[in-house]
Amino acid sequence: MDLLQPAILLQLAIGGLLAGALYALLASGLNLVFGVMRVINLAHGELMIAGAFLAWLLYSLLGLHPLLALPVAMVVLYILGFYLQRLLIERIVGRDELTSLLVTYGLSIILMNVGLLVFSADFRAVPALQGAVYLEDLDLVLSKPRAVAGIVSIVLTAGVYWFLKHSRTGKAIRAVSEHAEVAMICGIDVTRIRMVTFGLAAAMAGAAGVMLTTIYSFSPETGADFVLKCFAIIVIGGMGNFVGALLGGLLLGLAEAFVSGFLSTQWAEAVAYLLLVLVLILRPAGLLGKADAA
Amino acid sequence: MRLDLSLGLILVLLAALAPVATNDYQLSFLLQLLLMVALAQSWNLISGMTGYVSFGHAVFFGVGAYTGALLLVAGHSWWAAVGWAALIATALALPIGLLTLRLHGPYFAIAMLGLNEVGRTVATLWVDLTEGGDGIALSPALLPALETNYYATLFLAVLATLAIGVVLGTRFGLELQAIREDEGAAEMVGVNTTRDKVIAFAASAVIPGAAGAVYAYYTSFIDPLSVFLPALNIQMVAMVLLGGRGTLWGPVIGVVIVMSVRELTWAEFPTLHLALLGALMILVILFLPEGILSVLRKRRGPGSTRLAEECRQQGE
Repeated sequence: MDLLQPAILLQLAIGGLLAGALYALLASGLNLVFGVMRVINLAHGELMIAGAFLAWLLYSLLGLHPLLALPVAMVVLYILGFYLQRLLIERIVGRDELTSLLVTYGLSIILMNVGLLVFSADFRAVPALQGAVYLEDLDLVLSKPRAVAGIVSIVLTAGVYWFLKHSRTGKAIRAVSEHAEVAMICGIDVTRIRMVTFGLAAAMAGAAGVMLTTIYSFSPETGADFVLKCFAIIVIGGMGNFVGALLGGLLLGLAEAFVSGFLSTQWAEAVAYLLLVLVLILRPAGLLGKADAA
Repeated sequence: MRLDLSLGLILVLLAALAPVATNDYQLSFLLQLLLMVALAQSWNLISGMTGYVSFGHAVFFGVGAYTGALLLVAGHSWWAAVGWAALIATALALPIGLLTLRLHGPYFAIAMLGLNEVGRTVATLWVDLTEGGDGIALSPALLPALETNYYATLFLAVLATLAIGVVLGTRFGLELQAIREDEGAAEMVGVNTTRDKVIAFAASAVIPGAAGAVYAYYTSFIDPLSVFLPALNIQMVAMVLLGGRGTLWGPVIGVVIVMSVRELTWAEFPTLHLALLGALMILVILFLPEGILSVLRKRRGPGSTRLAEECRQQGE
């Protein structure tokens, strides 16, 4: 098979961008939290898996379609994130990054192992959206679940971007991200904004988890793989930078698609890590971005 | 110092006599305990002393296990294979350290987070060398006896603890702790921070490499999942944090606590055990950031980290 045909390249690119949109949704949430409170949340992947199991439960118990489970999971995860921030994360805001890494590492271990205890290590999926569409004009095959997951991710990420840019709360979030003390002086309830931010990030992770159920099989341990990819993405895109995470996500999706197309899917799994290491070698200083200024 | 030394001698003497008084099951438990001491103290050397948290130290254990197993199969004596395992793990740590330790702490932690997975993936995919997911079974004829493995592990545990004790009393140790307290300030007063970190990191891979090989002889079978073990990373972090990072006895205390929790919960709930460790980790970080040892020390007066404590107090 000649892999350099335009049709195949297009196929790989579209597939990569759709997968990348899901990464972008997940990574933007992680980066939002980092931007606002300088906390690196190692439990972000487990929050995604919480959304995935919620969608799986709603589907297998009530037969609820993942697209209908989406708002439910987002609300539940928002509330979970809101109170996680209040009870746990708020205590480590302003402490050194090591402390936040260790506490969220502990949190991810708890969530993952409680997940294993309750759901076992079996892989699951939600077979709700299936099949593929053939677009004749472009000579392109689109897998339905991947297309839906990609489009939902793009819409949600764009929605959050719009929210941050134009809503009153969104502006407050950006203000706290830029300078918490000045924001406080301006009358912003910084503690509440942090709770909203963590809730929002958790809701985004939950949404990514719901969409994940339709395209991958997952287990409680899947979160760890994704969180590593997210770190590669935010290091590439710039830590704390929302748009950077979006671009980094799309880039990783594309890179993985082409590597799995030309080499193998096993190598594609290593792409995120290779990219991370490569960026760390080539531009270590430039990557510190906002983290250094803090 | 003298107290530390006599306490250490008594513990080593007791451990050395243990094979006489124990059955195989008990000796196995002690071997695993000592293995954890060796690993925790190695992790302590880089992460406890400098504050650069390695979330992927199991990778050196895994590399050591494969080196030890493959060289034994190739006809080398077990002790030569253990030496090579230590050497290769260190040789691997050096470029990784050079690459990642120029970065600030969080980047190092993130880079290390995936390293164990990379090690496991390589061990799974490089079938010609490692037999892939099938693993390597070592023939009993080649393997040293349980007592031999026990003494080898004891040796590694003593070596790792001794290393911490020696480093704590030297300028190098103070420099490492200065990096943890304030890297910028350490650099300002002339500490070559990158060199110190890389040396500490490479040194912290020596014993995990050797311990991996001894572990392979002890279990007689290894596969990618059993030696590039994510739970091992969690345990190393938890044990040192619980006891007290950057201290001589903290990691030992942490190991005893974690292994006891494991004995009580392991058989029936391996995942519950890890969830408990996660919760302990959070509680310790939030309420006892200096570890359990700090509580004991306050009662007893300053111990071997006195200088660091003084520096910290002056800094505040």
